[in-house]
Amino acid sequence: MFFYYIYPDLWEAFFSELGMEPVVSGPSTKKTVEKASQISETEHCLPNKLFDAHLAELVGKVDMVFVPRVLSTIKNHLSCPKFGPLPDAARADIARGTEVLSIDLDETRRPLSKTLLLLGKKLNIQKSKTLPAIKSAFSAMESANKKMVMLNKKKGKPRFLLIGHPYIIHDNFIAGPILSKLENMGVEVELISFADDTPATSYILWGTANKIYHKLNTLSSEDYEGVIQITVFNCGCDSMMIDTYRQLVKDKNVAYMYLMVDEHLAQAGVDTRIEAFIDSLRWRK
Amino acid sequence: MTYMAIPNIGNYTIALATAVESLGIKAWASTATTPEALKLGIGAAPETVCLPLKAHLGHFIEADRAGVEYAFMVNSVGTCRLRYYRHMIGHILKDLGLKIKIFGLGFDGFKPPIVRHFDPGPITFLKPLFHTALKIKVIDKLEVAAWRTRAIEITHGDTTLLMNKLLVELSESKTMARTRAIRKKVAGCFAEIPVDKEKKPLKVGLVGEISFLRDKCLNKNIEYILGSQGVELRNFFLLGEELKNITRIVFLNQNKRKYLSKVADRYLQCTVGGHALDSVAHSIHCADEGYDGMIHVCPSGCMPEVSVRPILKRVSKDKDFPILEMSYDEHTCGGGIATRLEAFADVLMERRKKQLPRPSRGEGN
Repeated sequence: MFFYYIYPDLWEAFFSELGMEPVVSGPSTKKTVEKASQISETEHCLPNKLFDAHLAELVGKVDMVFVPRVLSTIKNHLSCPKFGPLPDAARADIARGTEVLSIDLDETRRPLSKTLLLLGKKLNIQKSKTLPAIKSAFSAMESANKKMVMLNKKKGKPRFLLIGHPYIIHDNFIAGPILSKLENMGVEVELISFADDTPATSYILWGTANKIYHKLNTLSSEDYEGVIQITVFNCGCDSMMIDTYRQLVKDKNVAYMYLMVDEHLAQAGVDTRIEAFIDSLRWRK
Repeated sequence: MTYMAIPNIGNYTIALATAVESLGIKAWASTATTPEALKLGIGAAPETVCLPLKAHLGHFIEADRAGVEYAFMVNSVGTCRLRYYRHMIGHILKDLGLKIKIFGLGFDGFKPPIVRHFDPGPITFLKPLFHTALKIKVIDKLEVAAWRTRAIEITHGDTTLLMNKLLVELSESKTMARTRAIRKKVAGCFAEIPVDKEKKPLKVGLVGEISFLRDKCLNKNIEYILGSQGVELRNFFLLGEELKNITRIVFLNQNKRKYLSKVADRYLQCTVGGHALDSVAHSIHCADEGYDGMIHVCPSGCMPEVSVRPILKRVSKDKDFPILEMSYDEHTCGGGIATRLEAFADVLMERRKKQLPRPSRGEGN
């Protein structure tokens, strides 16, 4: 679930090409969250709890669950340290009794295509069969990415930029209510894309955080009216970065707001915050 | 005299203070975060960052108020939030309009900026560093002796008094010869404390996040509370050991981490970051060694430590080995912690009395 959204359509295409039937857990709902708060470690961040609930949803339905160990998604960058022990935690607790398929996803050490090749080897599939699967997987991902870029290009100016980790801004429970509210108000929103090139290196080593940092660095007030950040309770990366982001955006003369989501998200609260933000920006004009 | 504020790492701050002298300046430090500093830090830091950052920040704000011009913060090369501490603290201090200048250990070129700035001569620079290494060794020795004696002392508080006395002596020691003399008398001093030799104290390991393992204010004096309950503690963070590891990795290529990851391999196949791997490996190790229990301390929401908790739970179940998980935040009060620790010690004692069937070494695997 965590890095499903960084590599859109890649995994389904890869596994179905290899002759397996991929089952993807459904979108997060209130029920998922309820389940998560029952079964997960109490001090995890919300996405980690949701991950546990999604995993529990799959366990029993499938022969094998795939939990990659995501160490870095961009070369010379790191991921959040919480992703490291995920497969081990899954084996230890929730997916106990089900076979957990895992692979180290480390762009710093080897590119994604090689990782997929290794994954094929782990599954005892011949190289001649894995290679075309990788090819089709990559083309599926590219077309999905292109669709997203096209969508963003169509949008008018100035628009709002929505930032956050990919697994936050694409999650139905966390970002869903916020996105639907913005849509209802007729506000044009661009979701930050994690598909484009490697960002310039900075003191931030967390891949996604640096990408957001890079994007905000090149932000222009003509294109964007405001920046909305969605963050979750107990997110370690965001807790360090929010102040930096706020400062950056402020320097560019663009409005900034962050919404922190936890298990008790209520639509009314979100509505009030967003309405107030948008209205105050409209009055400013 | 120029002063430099250094972060708290418990009793080891005494040794670090000596290291600062290598720059030709004096250290402004305390061995435990004061409650006032913590309050200042909590007020200035973003709400969701972890508690050690708030403690360090508060300490530096306090230093600035005392007129200290420079501050030093360690860099980490790990994956967790500690890496960004210096950057973040620097930003916040600047936002607050404080004049204190913060240094790290980064290299750009031959000399680190911190050395270039003060530019001490080679002898003034190197001599205190050797002295620091020696002091770290002495403190390691003190700590180990204190855990053993505190659990079996007859009059409560003897060990702590002696420890404090020796630490004061150590911090006042200016020459290597004096420090060596202190090192020699440590064993004798601790042997003089009247102890109950018949008593078989509970053996409990302590793992987790380093600031919490070391800072008495942050961990609410966990070592003292447990020690006076008659628990022999083994704190798995000794700075000397840690530094020895690093030098071994660099010069001899003998990596203790490799050994640890071998121990933990069945449960955790990645280093995670921070001391999460160490926590898991030491827990497994202690379970096999016949310890009575384990305590895992971390600040609330600590990224690496919290993420290995499900694994620790599994270890605890598999090995039938009690692991107490403690997480601290701003509102943690000493009384609550003491109650939990006492209850844990009681449970362990009852467990021992009942002689619950425990897999002995080698059987449980």
